[in-house]
Amino acid sequence: MNIQDETNIHVGQVVPPLQRTIRLTDMVAYAGATWDWHRLHYDPEYVKEKKLPAPIVDGQVFGALLVEQLQDWLGPRSFVHRLSFSFRNLVFAGETVRCEGTVTEVAADRIVCDLRVVVVGEDGGTARIAVAPASATVLLGRADGPGAPGEATR
Amino acid sequence: MSERGSAASPGEARRSLLTDEVRALKGKTKVYTAPEPFGAAAGRYFALAIGDDNPLYFDAEYARAHGLPGVTVPLTLVCETNQYAGRPMDEDGYAGHTWDLDIPGTRQVRGGNTYVFHRRIRPEDVITATWRIQDVTERITRSGQPMLIITSKADYTNQDGQLLAENEETIIFVALESSS
Repeated sequence: MNIQDETNIHVGQVVPPLQRTIRLTDMVAYAGATWDWHRLHYDPEYVKEKKLPAPIVDGQVFGALLVEQLQDWLGPRSFVHRLSFSFRNLVFAGETVRCEGTVTEVAADRIVCDLRVVVVGEDGGTARIAVAPASATVLLGRADGPGAPGEATR
Repeated sequence: MSERGSAASPGEARRSLLTDEVRALKGKTKVYTAPEPFGAAAGRYFALAIGDDNPLYFDAEYARAHGLPGVTVPLTLVCETNQYAGRPMDEDGYAGHTWDLDIPGTRQVRGGNTYVFHRRIRPEDVITATWRIQDVTERITRSGQPMLIITSKADYTNQDGQLLAENEETIIFVALESSS
């Protein structure tokens, strides 16, 4: 079965962006949900001592947002098999980020996307790059990965 | 990213950071096994924290309709959580895996990650994370300062030895500019 034919995905196609404002409250929730209570991520006094303008968004969250972006686009019968990302600039509490992507390869059962995460400026444009380069290989037509029992691929 | 740094005496920053002690880190391994199953609540909590309302994380009927045995958790959570580590908080509040590296005269930044996912996490999975330092190299920055690049990788397996995910992480120690 050629999944790509069914979905009509093509090289150069833009992945629908995912935009999110990361409030301090979200960062506190993230700290709890990941068992990571490092004070850099929520304590204004601590970051002031470190001469930083505001608490720093934990960079790992951008990996989660990139997967969310891809899954929201491709639906439950897709599986992000590989995700790679490099950090470029810090992101601070209260800033808005946007996950962006383009399809670079299309095969019968998978696609590859170039991705990045940018900090959104007041004009809606790119204020700075948070994450780049980044890329993902997504398996199509299956809800689970190659390490799962075969029924998820039917 | 971390902004932690250690003091160095003036002039020390331009010395090579790749000492015999640092070279010996290659191959160092740490293994952690979670004291309990991953749990569906952990996934639902994380999904709420990042604003991901995908029903795969809370609606078992929906998940089964798409071929999964039940609810799963957001894919990257296994690479982000410190649940398995079972470590107390340090003075900064951190309670996760660490190599306890102290490279004098440097500041530490995170380079990036490469995740490979083999299958979705199930609430009943009990995670073992096996971390290993794969490589230690040195480069010179554009401003002429040495920087140390430490690449480590975690393999996440469950109680049946199934490989669930891999996480390759790069940590960079950049020499602080000399004050002299």
